[in-house]
Amino acid sequence: MAASRRVAITGLGLVTPVGNDVATTWDAVLHGRSGGAQISLFDASGFPVHIAAEVKGFDERDLTGDKRLLKFANRSHRFALAASEQALRDAGIRPAETDPTRWGCAVGAGMMGVDFADLVSTHDHAAADGELHAERLLTDDAANDPLAFCRSNCAAGLSLIARRHGILGYATSVHTACASGGQALGTAMKLIRRGTADYALAGGFDSMISPVGIAGFCLLSALSPDNETPQRASRPFDATRNGFLLGEGAGFVVLEEWQAARRRGAHIYAELAGDGNSLSSYRITDSPPDGDGPIQSMRQALASAGALPADIDYLNAHGTSTGMNDRSESAAVRAVFGPHVAHLSVSSTKSTMGHLIAAAGAVEVAICALAIRDGIMPINANLRDVDPDCDLNFVRDEPRRQRVRMTMSNSFGFGGSNSCVVLRHPDEVTL
Amino acid sequence: MSPPRILITGSGAVCSAGKSPAEIFSAVRAGRSSIAPIKQWDVAEWPAQMAGEVADFNPREMVDDRKLHKLIRRTDLFGLYAAGKAIEDAGLTSYRDTLAGDAAATFSDQTGVYVGSGSGNYQNQYDYFPLLTAAKGSLPEFGRELANTVNPMWLLRSLPNNVLGHIGIKYGLKGSNACITHHSCSGSLAVIEGMEALRNGEAERVVCVGHDAPIEPQMVLYYYRLGLLATETLRPFDVARDGSVFGEGAGALVLEQESSAAARNATVLGEVLGGGYASEATGLVAIRDDGDGLARAIAAALDSARIRAADVGMIVAHGNGTRPSDASEAAAIRAVFGSDPPPVTAFKWSFGHLIAAAGLLEATVALAALADGVVPGVATLRELDPDCAGLPATSDSQAPRSKIALILCRGFGGTDAALLVRAA
Repeated sequence: MAASRRVAITGLGLVTPVGNDVATTWDAVLHGRSGGAQISLFDASGFPVHIAAEVKGFDERDLTGDKRLLKFANRSHRFALAASEQALRDAGIRPAETDPTRWGCAVGAGMMGVDFADLVSTHDHAAADGELHAERLLTDDAANDPLAFCRSNCAAGLSLIARRHGILGYATSVHTACASGGQALGTAMKLIRRGTADYALAGGFDSMISPVGIAGFCLLSALSPDNETPQRASRPFDATRNGFLLGEGAGFVVLEEWQAARRRGAHIYAELAGDGNSLSSYRITDSPPDGDGPIQSMRQALASAGALPADIDYLNAHGTSTGMNDRSESAAVRAVFGPHVAHLSVSSTKSTMGHLIAAAGAVEVAICALAIRDGIMPINANLRDVDPDCDLNFVRDEPRRQRVRMTMSNSFGFGGSNSCVVLRHPDEVTL
Repeated sequence: MSPPRILITGSGAVCSAGKSPAEIFSAVRAGRSSIAPIKQWDVAEWPAQMAGEVADFNPREMVDDRKLHKLIRRTDLFGLYAAGKAIEDAGLTSYRDTLAGDAAATFSDQTGVYVGSGSGNYQNQYDYFPLLTAAKGSLPEFGRELANTVNPMWLLRSLPNNVLGHIGIKYGLKGSNACITHHSCSGSLAVIEGMEALRNGEAERVVCVGHDAPIEPQMVLYYYRLGLLATETLRPFDVARDGSVFGEGAGALVLEQESSAAARNATVLGEVLGGGYASEATGLVAIRDDGDGLARAIAAALDSARIRAADVGMIVAHGNGTRPSDASEAAAIRAVFGSDPPPVTAFKWSFGHLIAAAGLLEATVALAALADGVVPGVATLRELDPDCAGLPATSDSQAPRSKIALILCRGFGGTDAALLVRAA
């Protein structure tokens, strides 16, 4: 019966602002070494915010595994190719070695956009006075370059990953802004539970550290303006928080039907045990102050995992470091956990990595898997003066060593989608 | 074991052929095409000039709330319009109004929204052109002048999930949700994921929407350069076909668990029987000649619905009019249905290819066709391509073999989706 199928996480891959692999990222996150710095990808000195958490020293020719695909790939796709390759290597299993039609793929992809250089070239040729002259597009290089189209199409990331790894089953690309990565993992879990797939590669990727990306967030005043102290800029739940630090990167996991993973002797990080998914239906960018919306997604995820609030030891919070999100999320956590809230260890690893937008949920679920594996929970960096409205049991200063039975990861997006993903320690799985 | 029944209790649609499924179906049935030279910009010099544009486009007719128009794009207007019509058709909010506080809140929490979205477009990024001109090539100047030149809500207008968020806010729906941005399969995937959410008890009812507005200069040019656009008209499966034609608009369905529809005494239009999906992993634009992915998607849909190929009464083919897609689609249909497939039709010749909205809009039209008991002909089909031999497609209307339609969709990335619906 498909409904009783369990889902194992057997591989992880990470490219983040604090490391281009899992081990480096995990060490930095545990100890709260920030990836924040002055933006180096372009001259951002005139922008209201000129700090971000960039991926550093990324050797794409080395890391993506298939150099022929690079010409079709934008920056975020390159992160995705690298992280998905790491995850498959880590799992020790590949579509080609099994039945590739039984592999699914679900990704949270960033917003579609052309490379800034292409936008500038189109502007200079077809809109030099600021208005588009459509007939000039006919002779514009970027507008006639099929590769520029490939890099900007919304299906580009998924099609590169499916082609690179030969995935022939159900493949889907979702976008609910900052909830995308979490929703992609939830979708993949359901593919295996309902029998559509036996294996899945799932993750998220994004890179908005470009003039247009930074501009979009600056216009909304969503970013921390602490240009002089980039490593302190992201301080979720701190009373002085003033916006998020934009990050970039990719996170991928390999999922397998539990029994099959056991039979092949795979290392199982955790059970991907539950997914919750709701709409706040409040305002497009604002979070409801009472936590309505996130409350439902967290409760659904618990129910989907067959768990109670007291079973959860660690919450990797959405914790963006904006005034509104952190307050709303704290209210939701208190409502869901009730008296157990005192025993729930909480941290937002965005304090270290920044906000990876469509990749955030996937990367943070991978962090939860590592917390379960190692029995240690990463810190909420930069938390000096806890906002009284956010009085949760935060992991501060030092990582907390403790057996972690179950974890929860929250991701809430512009547009009001809320995602919550619950993991279970493999030894806690009773069949 | 049969899967639980997933009922269809509301539908809505808009495209160049009309502003409701019935209107669109009657255009298709009458053999009327609304494909015409593009009016949104001067196409006199353009190598591809045709599309199915929504005529007399009036944003207020699509979405009454003028304040919202600054926050969303043309594609979102279509999506919100079709979704609103489907919600109204199903009577969801009017039923909720009869419930007491707690029951109304539960109703909202148990109503999900699944959207297939065309994601972004190129025009939206042109909003930065005046700033680029003002900055004269200097990025620091670009940064300094930003707030004086660009609409502060720019990023929100660009969100691919605007229809999802705004349906939620407007109708107070708070259940499970997804926004699928996967090119032409997005709309069909929204139906599949919505159906699975109901089967799995994640929601009691869901609104599924697909929307897109691909008719813009840079998009047309790219598709033309890739050899995908027709010079004149879209002729599915015809020996002289030379490509596809863009359309625009949206389709929406309200799906419910049987118990939810019964409790509301809802009028049932039909049901979603199943859906299947497969990938060919061939890269962004290439597809296999043998229709392997599509054949597997159809087999998965039949399996999901627990029915046999012989139960299918009509096939609404993807029929996008490109040479490789139509030929391999015929191969896939032959592979699954052998020498005796049910009547095959396709709709895109009438109103164009709605990309992310295609599968959902065509499902609403297929339901109207089944209700009317007719498989409309493909009016632009003059001579069946020998590569498409064995396909029972004609310019005349045919009779469906049953109340079940198979709706096919194919998208970039070598992806294929198949939906099975039954009319009441």
